[in-house]
Amino acid sequence: MTQRTRNWLLLAPAGTWFLVMLIVPLTVVFIFSFGERAPSGGVVLALTFEQYANLPARWAAFKNTMTLAPIGTLSALIIAYPLAYFLAVKANPRWKTILLVLVIVPFWTSILIRSYAWIFLLGGRGIPALLEWVGIEGLRLINTPFAVLVGIIYGYLPLMVFPIFVSLDKLDKRLLEASSDLGAKPWKTFLQVTLPLSIPGIATGCMLVFILLMGEYLIPALLGGGKVFFVGNALVDLFLQSRNWAYGSAVAVTLVVIMLITVTIYMRLISRLGASREDVSIM
Amino acid sequence: MAIEAYTEVTLPADRKVVAELRGVSKSFGDVLAASDLNLSIGEGEFLSFLGPSGCGKTTALRMLAGFEAPSEGQVLLDGDVVNDLDAHNRPVNMVFQQYALFPHMTVTQNIGYGLRQVRPRIPKPQIAERVSRALEVVRLGGFDDRKIWEMSGGQQQRVALARAIINEPKLLLLDEPMAALDRKLRKEMQIELQDLQRQLGITFVLVTHDQEEALSMSDRICIMRDGRIVQIGSPQELYDRPNSRYVADFVGTSNFFDGTLQGSPEGLSTVLLDNGMQVQGMAGDGLVDHQDVCISVRPEQMKLSHQGDGVEVKVHNRIFLGEHTEYLVSHQTLGDFLVLAPRQADLTEGAFAVGDTATVSWEATAALILDRN
Repeated sequence: MTQRTRNWLLLAPAGTWFLVMLIVPLTVVFIFSFGERAPSGGVVLALTFEQYANLPARWAAFKNTMTLAPIGTLSALIIAYPLAYFLAVKANPRWKTILLVLVIVPFWTSILIRSYAWIFLLGGRGIPALLEWVGIEGLRLINTPFAVLVGIIYGYLPLMVFPIFVSLDKLDKRLLEASSDLGAKPWKTFLQVTLPLSIPGIATGCMLVFILLMGEYLIPALLGGGKVFFVGNALVDLFLQSRNWAYGSAVAVTLVVIMLITVTIYMRLISRLGASREDVSIM
Repeated sequence: MAIEAYTEVTLPADRKVVAELRGVSKSFGDVLAASDLNLSIGEGEFLSFLGPSGCGKTTALRMLAGFEAPSEGQVLLDGDVVNDLDAHNRPVNMVFQQYALFPHMTVTQNIGYGLRQVRPRIPKPQIAERVSRALEVVRLGGFDDRKIWEMSGGQQQRVALARAIINEPKLLLLDEPMAALDRKLRKEMQIELQDLQRQLGITFVLVTHDQEEALSMSDRICIMRDGRIVQIGSPQELYDRPNSRYVADFVGTSNFFDGTLQGSPEGLSTVLLDNGMQVQGMAGDGLVDHQDVCISVRPEQMKLSHQGDGVEVKVHNRIFLGEHTEYLVSHQTLGDFLVLAPRQADLTEGAFAVGDTATVSWEATAALILDRN
């Protein structure tokens, strides 16, 4: 067996998977998006831009996704960074592993069950009841954008913590000493050395969380209660409820295009910040 | 015990003391990394801490830098106790072992880092000018905008040096700065460092485990062992008058023969070697009658002859080194030892071949009686 055939054989499983599960479905969706709704549901192939012209009807879903995904990503970053910093730099090495495991522990339970827990916490008998008890009344949390945001941050935090942790953990601690030795106060050392050198981790974490958030379905469905819905929820509705496959496909294609555009802009931004492209491990 | 009693070679009276360690100890948990260090560092001096790894030399350096606070004792800079002064507030800069250059900055940005931290701010053009001057000093002109990872090991070391000296520190600390360089480059850098030190007049404190490095560059060397200072002195003093077997062994090469001191140790004394031979030697300080001692004779102080007085040996091995020939000889009861014959001796007396019988002799004053530790 030559090196070449061996390479192809090794690539075959992943290649087949990509072809069957990604390229083919995307192509099908792309073709469907130019079709029309069949009378009994499903799709009739055609070449019309009618579905795309109809997109503004689902504006709310796009608006929610395009606001809550970036806000959620940013919030997760702000909360995750200090945690990752503590784990990587400050924590006693003896406890490091245990603390890291604690960050993943929530993943051992299904996100569905954990989100249900939040329904109770944010619902009438949860936090609002507690607040009422201390005198703050009439606060509604569940089925609001805030509830969705809480769910998002909670669910995606570990995905943000890990890449940042890795980049801070491999940061040469002598660089911090060198900075201090050269007269930089601790805060300046953080801004001039630690933060710039952890950009690859930040970039990877944000990318992971953002891309997954753009396609999020479960959290808005449970904590948004049909009032705060994402494009993902709209797609489920279009494909499974109203069975308008052509329109659903157009919405899906639009989402993919928006994602590609944002990610491209984002990558440009990151590489301008100084982190070379290879550093961002997800691309 | 001789090992505890080291005499500090006093600095010339006109020399100002820039840094001082007074009874400084440092422990990490149960481990005592440095114990009762006493040392004055003079202005413009080149001082080295020399010792094997784990002897506390790096800990001593880190306490001067401000990365570690002493558990006991005082660290003084310019006469002020600085125990609680953080590294970023000390007028001291360090060249780190692996240089610790900032990988996300260019050469210029790395070198200017210290100046950019100064408040009130130094104007940018002034920083730029000082950076380019520092680049000239370390002979890296034209490398301004290079990335750190585009530089070779030797160039990186120059950047690290420039980054430290640009701040005109009271003390420049160098933590094994040549460890990552190859032998030839190391030699070059040693000479350059010395030139630089004379040119700038900054006090250099070097940490190294390489005796050659310490001997060739330092004004004074501070020999350390197990967290303690064993002896402080100029390279010649340490070489000619080591105060223990440890120092004699660490600074240069020597032959040791164990024995017991006979009589009071004053000047030329007699030692009864373990094999029954009686030899004379110069007794060091702090020895007592009947103490277990050793005789130390440097290989180059030994003379190899075809006949005459001395101990009879067999030539075991011969290594021609150009200006010297190194003979490994073996004696029936003293064991193997080294004799270094200058080229001249080989030419006049005739060289020895492996298997030859010869006699080895040395001047009684060249034999040092030392504590066995």
